[in-house]
Order: sequence, then C-alpha cells, then structure tokens
Amino acid sequence: MSNEKNGIIKLQSVDFLRKTMGDYFNRLKDATETKNKKIAWCTSVGPAELLYSMGFEVYFPENHGAMIGASKMADKYIPSAVALGYSPDICSYLTSDIGAFLQNETPLQKSGFKSVPKPDVLVYNTNQCHEVGDWFSFYARHFNVPIFGINTPLWINELTPSIVNSVVSQFKNLVPELEKVTGQKFNIEKFRETVALSHDGCVLWRKVLETAIHKPSPINFFDATIHMGPIVVMRGTQYAVDYYKVLLAELQDRIKNGISAVPSEKLRIYWDGMPLWYKLSSMAKLFSNLDTCIVASTYCNSWIFDDLNPEDPFGSSALAYCKLFIVRSDAEKQKVLEKLMVDFSIDGIIYHDAKTCGRNSNNRFGLPTRLNNQNNIPYLEINGDLCDSRCYSEEQSIIAIETFVKQLLSRK
Amino acid sequence: MYKIGIDLGSSYTKGVLIDDNHKIVDYYLTRTGFDFQKAANKIIDKFSPNNKILFPVYTCGYGRDELKIPFVANSEIMALSKAVFAIYKKKCSVIDIGGQDTKYIKINDLGQVDKFKMNRKCAAGTGSFIEELAFRMDVSPLEFSNYAKQATEEVRINSYCTVFAISEIIGMVKKGATLPNIIMGIYNSVIARSIELSPIEDFLVLTGGIPANHSFMIKLFQKKFVNCESPENSQFLAAWGCVLLNS
Repeated sequence: MSNEKNGIIKLQSVDFLRKTMGDYFNRLKDATETKNKKIAWCTSVGPAELLYSMGFEVYFPENHGAMIGASKMADKYIPSAVALGYSPDICSYLTSDIGAFLQNETPLQKSGFKSVPKPDVLVYNTNQCHEVGDWFSFYARHFNVPIFGINTPLWINELTPSIVNSVVSQFKNLVPELEKVTGQKFNIEKFRETVALSHDGCVLWRKVLETAIHKPSPINFFDATIHMGPIVVMRGTQYAVDYYKVLLAELQDRIKNGISAVPSEKLRIYWDGMPLWYKLSSMAKLFSNLDTCIVASTYCNSWIFDDLNPEDPFGSSALAYCKLFIVRSDAEKQKVLEKLMVDFSIDGIIYHDAKTCGRNSNNRFGLPTRLNNQNNIPYLEINGDLCDSRCYSEEQSIIAIETFVKQLLSRK
Repeated sequence: MYKIGIDLGSSYTKGVLIDDNHKIVDYYLTRTGFDFQKAANKIIDKFSPNNKILFPVYTCGYGRDELKIPFVANSEIMALSKAVFAIYKKKCSVIDIGGQDTKYIKINDLGQVDKFKMNRKCAAGTGSFIEELAFRMDVSPLEFSNYAKQATEEVRINSYCTVFAISEIIGMVKKGATLPNIIMGIYNSVIARSIELSPIEDFLVLTGGIPANHSFMIKLFQKKFVNCESPENSQFLAAWGCVLLNS
C-alpha cells in the first residue's frame, strides 16, 4: 500500500508511535481507575524525571493543549475560559485546556477517559513562562491538591552557578513534599536511573532531528511535531528510548535508500516558534508542494536535554532545564540559531509570531534583523497562534509563504 | 496578439492588456465580489471584442488560483516588484497599500526581492480602514484627498483598531474637530502603520489602490520621504508584473 499522501510520505514508525502513546495514556487511565499509582501533572519542560523516579504517572497539560489544538476544537473551548476571566491574549494552551475542562470535554474521551486524569499533585517549572503557574493554580484550587513550582529566572544570559544552584535547591526542596504525596521515600538510585534514561532518550531524539542535516532530509518539522510526543511525556522512561531507537533506524534507512520527507526538496527552511497545531496537515502539504522542507525548528529542539547526567542527577537536571532555549536571552538564542543555520544548511527562516505565546515568538525584540545582518539568510514573519485559529489569516500567510519560497529560489 | 494580466485582489480586480512590446495598452478595474471568475470575465470581456487575446491569462492576488480558464498564477509581491523595477531600474523600497494588505518590499540592484513584510492580521493601515471610516462618516473615500487639502491642523488617531478609531473620531467630533482635520488624521494613521513595517532607507515607491486614489496621501508621504514617487495607475502594476514575469 502506498505510504504517500498528497506528496507527504508517512513514516512507518507512526504505528509504533500510536501504540507507545496509547500505552502511555492507558497507564494514566489505569492509575485513575485503580488508584494504584499517584498522578502528577507536570509542565512539559518541568521535572518529569524526578516525578517518574518517585513512582508517579505523569500527565502533561501542554500535551493536552496541543491535542486540543490539533483536533481543531480550541475555538470552541477558549470562550469558556475567557468568560471566566482568562484573557484571550494569554496562552491559548491554557485557555483551551481550561475551557475544555469547563465544558467537561477532552480529546482523551476518544481513548476511554471520562475526563482528564485527576491530579494528586501539580508541579510546574517557570523556565518556559510564568503563565504555567496560573494555569496549574486553577486546577490546584479546583481539585484542592498541592501545587509546587520551580521558579527559574527568565531571560538567562550567562548561566551562572548561582542560577543553577538556586534551581538545584528548589529541585531538592520538592523531594520531601512529593514524599508526602506518595507516602514513599525518595530513592536517589532510582532518580539516577531515570535521569540516565532521560539522557539516553534525549540523545536519541537529537540524533533523530539531526538526520535532517542530510540532503535531502528524511524528516520534516511536521513529522517531528507528531513524533516528539514520547520525548515530551515519557522522558525518563524506557518507553521513550525504545521508541526513538525505532524511529532513528527508520530515518537512517531512509537516508540509505534516498527517501526524503519532501519528494523534491529544493529549499531548506528553519521554523522558529510554535506550530500552528490546527494547520499541521495543510501546512505540510503546502510546503511539500513548494518543494520546501522545514528541516529544523526551535520548538522540536527544545526537548534535547543532553546535559542530564546520572552521576549528578540534581545538578544536571537544574543545568539542563536552565539551558533551555526559551529561557535564554536573545543574545544566547542568536548563538544557538547561528549554529543551527550552518549545521542544517538553512536557506531561509520562518518566524511564527504566536499571538498568545510571546515567550515562544522570537521575532519580537529585533532578533530576525540582527541574525539577518550576521548571516544574510532571508526571513519571513507570519502571524498566527498555537491553538487559537482566530489569530491566523490563512490566505495572507499562504501568499507570504509562496512569495518567500520564490524569493529564496531566486537566490539559488 | 495581446496578453492579459489580472490582479484578483480582496476588494478590487485589476486587469491590464499588454502588447507584444510588454506595454500596457488598456486597463480595467472592477469590484471582486464573491466570484473571482466573474470578476475575471469582466476584464476579459472588456478587452476581447477589439483585440486578439493570447491565453493563458496571468494572475496574482487572493483569487490567483480560482479561475476556470487557462491561467498562470503568480505571487503578487514578485509581480509588483518586477513591474516597479521595470519602471525605475534601480534598488528601492515599495509600500503597497491595498484593500486588505499593506506590504513593504525591498528590491535590490538586480531587481530581486531582498525582503518583504505584510501587515499583521489587522485592517489598520489598509484600504479597508479608510473605507470603513468613510462609510461611518458618510463621506466618499474618493473625496478624502480634497478634504485633507483643507486641513488646518493634524488630528492624531492613535487607535490600532478600526472600530475603536471610530469611537476616537466621535470623541474628536464632540470636541469640535473638523472633517478635513479628521481625514488628515486618518491619512497619517495609515502612513504610520505602513512605515512601521520596515525602516525606509532608499528610494520609496508607493503603489496600490490607496495611493492611486488618494493623491494627497502621496504628498504626505513625500513630506516624510523626499525621495518618494508613486507611478501613474499604480494599482495596475501587479497585474502588469504578472505578464512581465512570464515574458
């Protein structure tokens, strides 16, 4: 049977991905129904390793927000959160997630859930933004469960020992609080094992993304946003490691056999910012038809935590989560982008200015101009949003993207 | 034999008839409405009785892919750039103000697009902003320039939003602002939105339906940018550029 649809060649690993993600949700469902394990809610770049090592099943509301966005239901849910006093200008993961909760709906109902899994504890990290604290506080109030946060400073320029040490202390301070929730003693060896698995998973994820260095690339941004699921929600587990071994092998086979993500790759684009979850499929088709492959992105690279080290699980966790792209100053971000442009042979950059996610929109403080002055790689800015499709003008954006491709081709 | 270029824009469809020397010999403008093919037919019907037309037609704009007749679709930004460079033959910046979009384009010495930027998802700074305010003030947009000439002082309109701009204008009327001064404020608001797309460092070319129909706005641009021109019939340039791109 053909694996090609609308010029997009599906990765065969997607079946294993579905199973891996399905099993993950089944474990959450099982914990909800049998109460055999405690459930922690965690931010997507939060202390997942610590939570897994202490025996929690871990649920990620941001993953849920992305599912709502991808199922094109956010516009139905957001107004309920807005009516409750949550501004339409704040994170649309937050407003769509809370809105869905208020309407007693979730994409997880298709997987047999009655509602989202009830938390026993909520743990966030402000390394990506401060809105996650407000988001989780809604549920802490609703479920009357404890909430703990790691307050990482935003806009880290030089990553000094004092910043890392502060986060180490906060990680350690979580332990006795989480012990109260689980009723179990923390086991440092178990934490080391989990950090080691997370490291291995992240290294594999890096290798997966770096297959796109090859010309033509065997994977594009739209594949990666789907296949990143396990590194987001199962970081620190064997499941993620097992999945990325399979995916990496398939991509390496693709390279050997000359199979590319975009059948006739002529241009290689870097995507900065969030995906437009409700437009993944149509955008994948648009770029494929334009013989253009989005080979690298800030977003998918954000789940590479290869500083994790089992010999120093607290210190390396703090370091890895403070090094995260989104938490850095523009000067540090520019250094990262400069390297990626060279490594991935980038012809042009698209900055997605997401209306409700300033932290993940890196075009707002002159970075595109400065980077362009440095490397002369053309760029395009498009306005949209991660979940709220009302912020996106599709026709205008298509015209801009088509023109950008012609602009880049004229330079070839 | 003649070729036809058609710019199927959000508000208006612009058509040009091009001879073998790539010169515009006729042009026609009609409202786009809901049916792109119908709008294109009006252009073709206008030109075809007296001229032998060579198909396909060359299109750009929002309806560029929507015709049921043979066509070659183009990017309006590339088409406009081609036309502007054909006229001036030097590097320049272009500000194109249309019904729904305002665009900034930087063209290099070779006539290539170095950079472009479009307005955000917002009507402020576009023709729709002017049309909506004109409707609410019950003044024809085509009379705007004549009123603006009579302005005695600038009234500043700060709102980004068309609806709130109306509220702001109502407040000004209450305080005794005159119609010419308000229209001057509207013009300056559109100019402010368009020049924030990018720094303008070189020769500036104004194009699109708004400069073409609001001559006084061109004068206001020229006060800010000494090296600034707007070619005649500039709303037809993208349609012409479609043909040039394929010649």
